[in-house]
Amino acid sequence: MRLPAWIALLVGAFPTLGLAQTVQQPLVTGESLPRLPQRLVEMGLQAVKAPDWLVALGSFVTAAAVVVAVFLTAFALLSLIERKTLARVQNRLGPNRAGYFGILQPVADGIKMLTKEDIVPTKAEWFLHLLAPILIVIPSILALGVIPYGREWVPVPLELGIVFFFAVGTMTELAVFIAGWASGSKFPMLGAMRAISQMISYELPLMISALSVVMLSGTLTLTGIVNAQAGFHLGFLPAWNILTPWGLVAGIVFFIAAIAESNRCPFDLPEGESEIVAGHMTEYSGFKYALFFMGEYLGLFAISGLGITLFLGGWQAPLPGLDWVPSWIWFFGKLAVVIFVFLWIRATFPRVRIDQLMRFAWLCLIPVSLLTLPVAAIWHYAGQGALGWLLCAVPLLIPCILITVFFNRRLAPATRRYHFAE
Amino acid sequence: MISLLLISPLILLAALGAVWKARPVHAALLLALALALVAVLYLSVGADFIGLVQFMVYVGGVAILIVFALLITRPGDEAEEVARRPRSLALGFACVAPVLGMLLYAFSQGLPLSTADEANPALPVQALGMELFENSVPAVLAVGVLLTAVLIGAALFARDPGTKPEPPASR
Amino acid sequence: MTPLPLLLTLSALLFVLGLLAVLTRRNAILVLVGIELMLNAANLNFIAFWRYGPPDVDLTGPLFVLFSIAIAAAEAAVGLAIILMNFRRTRSTDLNRLDSLHG
Repeated sequence: MRLPAWIALLVGAFPTLGLAQTVQQPLVTGESLPRLPQRLVEMGLQAVKAPDWLVALGSFVTAAAVVVAVFLTAFALLSLIERKTLARVQNRLGPNRAGYFGILQPVADGIKMLTKEDIVPTKAEWFLHLLAPILIVIPSILALGVIPYGREWVPVPLELGIVFFFAVGTMTELAVFIAGWASGSKFPMLGAMRAISQMISYELPLMISALSVVMLSGTLTLTGIVNAQAGFHLGFLPAWNILTPWGLVAGIVFFIAAIAESNRCPFDLPEGESEIVAGHMTEYSGFKYALFFMGEYLGLFAISGLGITLFLGGWQAPLPGLDWVPSWIWFFGKLAVVIFVFLWIRATFPRVRIDQLMRFAWLCLIPVSLLTLPVAAIWHYAGQGALGWLLCAVPLLIPCILITVFFNRRLAPATRRYHFAE
Repeated sequence: MISLLLISPLILLAALGAVWKARPVHAALLLALALALVAVLYLSVGADFIGLVQFMVYVGGVAILIVFALLITRPGDEAEEVARRPRSLALGFACVAPVLGMLLYAFSQGLPLSTADEANPALPVQALGMELFENSVPAVLAVGVLLTAVLIGAALFARDPGTKPEPPASR
Repeated sequence: MTPLPLLLTLSALLFVLGLLAVLTRRNAILVLVGIELMLNAANLNFIAFWRYGPPDVDLTGPLFVLFSIAIAAAEAAVGLAIILMNFRRTRSTDLNRLDSLHG
């Protein structure tokens, strides 16, 4: 059995060669720690005189592998943290059997998922039935690849980062449709119809509110958008977009739309358990179901990461004088906070109804997000100080209050009776 | 060039499937695949922005619209459609073959087939934006008006005109 | 074969396939599928000539494709709305049944 030894040698060779080559220069700083594997592979390949395309390919694959590894770990952790948090809110303990504090629960869940029987209904189209969970996961991973996690850690620095993010994001809708249709059954189809109409409706405010950031940053690169938010006002207030009048409104709209886009409570109608079993995932079991779950959580990470990049200053430190902390720690700190807020919302808000959901998107979020575009222009030309705040607050506040009051008074409390339920 | 040679047959196969398949949803999904592959082709010839826009509009918009419309309207008798398909395809092909011949003839006559392999520079997004919002502002405005009109018009068209639902709160 | 003839042949074939769908389909929505294919064939020509034709400093090709994509989206939306409206009236999307001008 020589094979394992050879494999170990091959796997070990590149990093070792890389290490040997770079003893003279400092290999790693806190800032570039996440890029260490990538640099090791690059150096190792260069040390063995590999052709340029192979070096580029190796470096690229390693960068992708790091992102996938980081976020799969985060996914496993989040699935535990989510259950623990929900349990705390509901005054119970949550998973506490597998390992100390339930820490092994994700592992147990994974084993359970993998060993379950994979059921394909007889009426399903097996190929499309198989394709759907794969198509759900791919766009989330692609989207995670373009986000700048730190000053030196941008896995794929694309010139059109934000356009790419939204373009691959649209693939999810088709995947959901395929899942619902290929299952050949009633509830998946209904769930898919709900999910698609919801995602299309909430994609508009999502994109429009991101547009105002692009407009004022003057760039489509996500790194450029983060760099545009550097610095501090008055010596301590970070120059993040969320701390401007238009950015505050656009940011709130963006995060609400992000919750809806990733089908989370209170907008989890597509998979509302009490209404349509599990929506488009009803006919899935075993690993395919786990893939849906994974796609959902990776999508949540991706869209929160984009929100942090656009509105919360990306990897910028929140206070001056904290630049010695590696920037990616700030990014993941912000990610943890945002995700916790999402969990909190999930634990405390009741699910909305489908007509309320659509009305909220088209009558409330889209007008407000459209409003942020001209207000961002005012902010740009009115100087970005007290005068800007004054000039922006008026056109923002009046319609926002009007819409909110109108929305609350006229639309939301109108109790709806169902014809066939009585 | 290699990427073009790889993608082109795939586009053709997907488009052929979209035309060939008798089941409507399959045809629509294959259309989405073909258009996504066209987007990949745009990316590979250096028109990045156009490729991403194509992906966003066609895969995220038009394909979804089409499958939605297919679901709302129940398709007719599928078995009959499957049986009828080969004959109508053969007839249709007899009709379009001259068009194909004409197009290929026109291309072969109009072009020196030995055009150089070197390409114009890839698409700079900034230049495209400048061009769009400096020289073709009227066109952009016209498209904006058109899309708004379409939004309103489509909503009015698709509204259920005749049967008004009874007011739910009346009971 | 250089890229330009390759792309032009591809677009000619795509156009013909779209035309085939338009001629042979009875379902109005699937006719729309064929129209989308034909539109894309035209767009492909613009991109091909922009990239591999004579130098195009004004970016006319990509601009035209952008507008064409926007208008194609509008066309799909209106077309499907009309088909839906007609479906409400006749309970069918079969184009052969669309033979009455009577409202």
